Amino acid sequence: MNALAKRTLWILPILALLCTSLRADTPQAATARIVAAANAFLATLDESQKKHVMYAFDDEKQRATWSNLPTSMVPRGGIKMGDLNEAQRSAALALVASALSQRGFEKVQQIMQGDELLKHNDRDARMFGKNLFYISILGTPSERSAWMLQFGGHHLALNITVSGENGILTPSLTGAQPALYQLNGKTVRPLGAESDKAFALLNALDGGQRKRAVLSFRMADLVLGPGQDGKTIQPEGLKASDMNEKQRAMLVDLISEWVNIAPDTFAAPRMAEIKSALDDTWFAWSGPDKAEEGKNIRAYFRVQGPKLVIEYAPQNLGGDPTLHVHTMYRDPTNDYGRGNNKQ
Amino acid sequence: MKAPIVAAILVSFFLVHRASAHRLDEYLQATTIDIGKSRLVLEIRLTPGVDVFSKVMARIDTNRDRLISEAEQRDYSDEVLHDLSLSIDGKQLPLRLTSLTFPKIEQMKEGLGEIVFDYEAPVPSGIERRKILFENHHQNAISVYLANCLFPKDPDIRITAQNRNYEQTVYRVDYTQAIAPATAIASSSGSSVRNWLIADAIILLPSLAILWQRRRRVIQKDTAGVRPNAI
Repeated sequence: MNALAKRTLWILPILALLCTSLRADTPQAATARIVAAANAFLATLDESQKKHVMYAFDDEKQRATWSNLPTSMVPRGGIKMGDLNEAQRSAALALVASALSQRGFEKVQQIMQGDELLKHNDRDARMFGKNLFYISILGTPSERSAWMLQFGGHHLALNITVSGENGILTPSLTGAQPALYQLNGKTVRPLGAESDKAFALLNALDGGQRKRAVLSFRMADLVLGPGQDGKTIQPEGLKASDMNEKQRAMLVDLISEWVNIAPDTFAAPRMAEIKSALDDTWFAWSGPDKAEEGKNIRAYFRVQGPKLVIEYAPQNLGGDPTLHVHTMYRDPTNDYGRGNNKQ
Repeated sequence: MKAPIVAAILVSFFLVHRASAHRLDEYLQATTIDIGKSRLVLEIRLTPGVDVFSKVMARIDTNRDRLISEAEQRDYSDEVLHDLSLSIDGKQLPLRLTSLTFPKIEQMKEGLGEIVFDYEAPVPSGIERRKILFENHHQNAISVYLANCLFPKDPDIRITAQNRNYEQTVYRVDYTQAIAPATAIASSSGSSVRNWLIADAIILLPSLAILWQRRRRVIQKDTAGVRPNAI
């Protein structure tokens, strides 16, 4: 394959994204686009590779096989990017891009890029790097019946259930290490907006509100991270019903950082659902209430509503916690689309 | 990683630390409490970090054979249990181990292994407003803790307050529990039985009185030597 052809293949996912962003999709069109991208990807694979990628829709073991940890520590199912040729990898990324918003795919690329830096820095290609991200499909890509796309690796777990007109992104994990780096002379913070928006919301609270939002105890990690499917904890902190309109708008904007990883056609109904229960949505903060300009917070925060759990947890794993972040996004009533797809 | 991407990555590594993907110098102990009317269910997940693995292992592998036998697993669960305390409304509750899971030692060495203990405790019937106090002081020199309640599945149970110390070794949960319906059913069913008995008595008593009158007349006639319709 010549250099021009290779370059063209890498551009395909970007073109797919541009098409997505320029077109106002109907839900049916969005689903059709993802199904077409899935079939295009599958068409690039040989039979042996397909066997690695395809799982039964009801394969609960594979469904739950995701983690924040490197794939050498927690092996994932599916096929890894490093085992695909250029055309196959391009088709795989085009599929992922088709199921995400432009910003969502950008975030995914930044997370993967961070892992690539770890590989170079640690000189450990067995544990880190873009080649160690896996793709799998549960069920048969369809515009009508439910199926699922999984894409993830170290610090990333996207579980996207497509069910007719519905696209469900929960549960999904986004993380970053380093959570701040330089690329082409620009500073990149894959989860920087999440950190900045939460910090701005905290600072927009008055004394009484802040007292309720700030938890008096240390949160050492995610509570509902990998392996904790099906659990819902008692919410804590400050209720949105006790916030003013500006603060509520800031809370919605913060939530949108996770919801809008999905394309607008899927994100819009999800956001409407979250807004309808906003009064019962809580914001809780634990840890330092100061942050350096341009850096991530050192604090844990949680946003929890009847159909929503978001956690942001800096990792104190022997380094600077602002540089290592895990976040979790769940819908306790509909993780993996189970609320929509009663088997 | 080929040219199109690699060439674009002009990275400065000044901010990149050596990677630590796994837990290091802490022993994470995460507890969830599931509150039911008749019992509390506790799940404790313990994840030793790489740097504290040997300290945790020393408490588990008591014969130092670098294996974790079933007996050692149970002994360790007893040790953890000894460091826990659970009470309701000031009364200590006995915790009973219902299941235990140990990871492979290799996973624990890498800071990835999760030990899971499940316990349950009976809840004595009591007042509407209740207080649970949970304490975990297991290996607190090296540990960090999380303590949370699951959102109650029983709609009659409502958590009203949660309080913890900074380390989350002490966790207090206040909750209300609707006990009125059960009492109301008992009392209403009692009164309805009473009502039925009274109604039955009102119906039966006149009938019994008529029967008694007839019987009395028959006896009086027999006594007089007259046999009606006698052949």
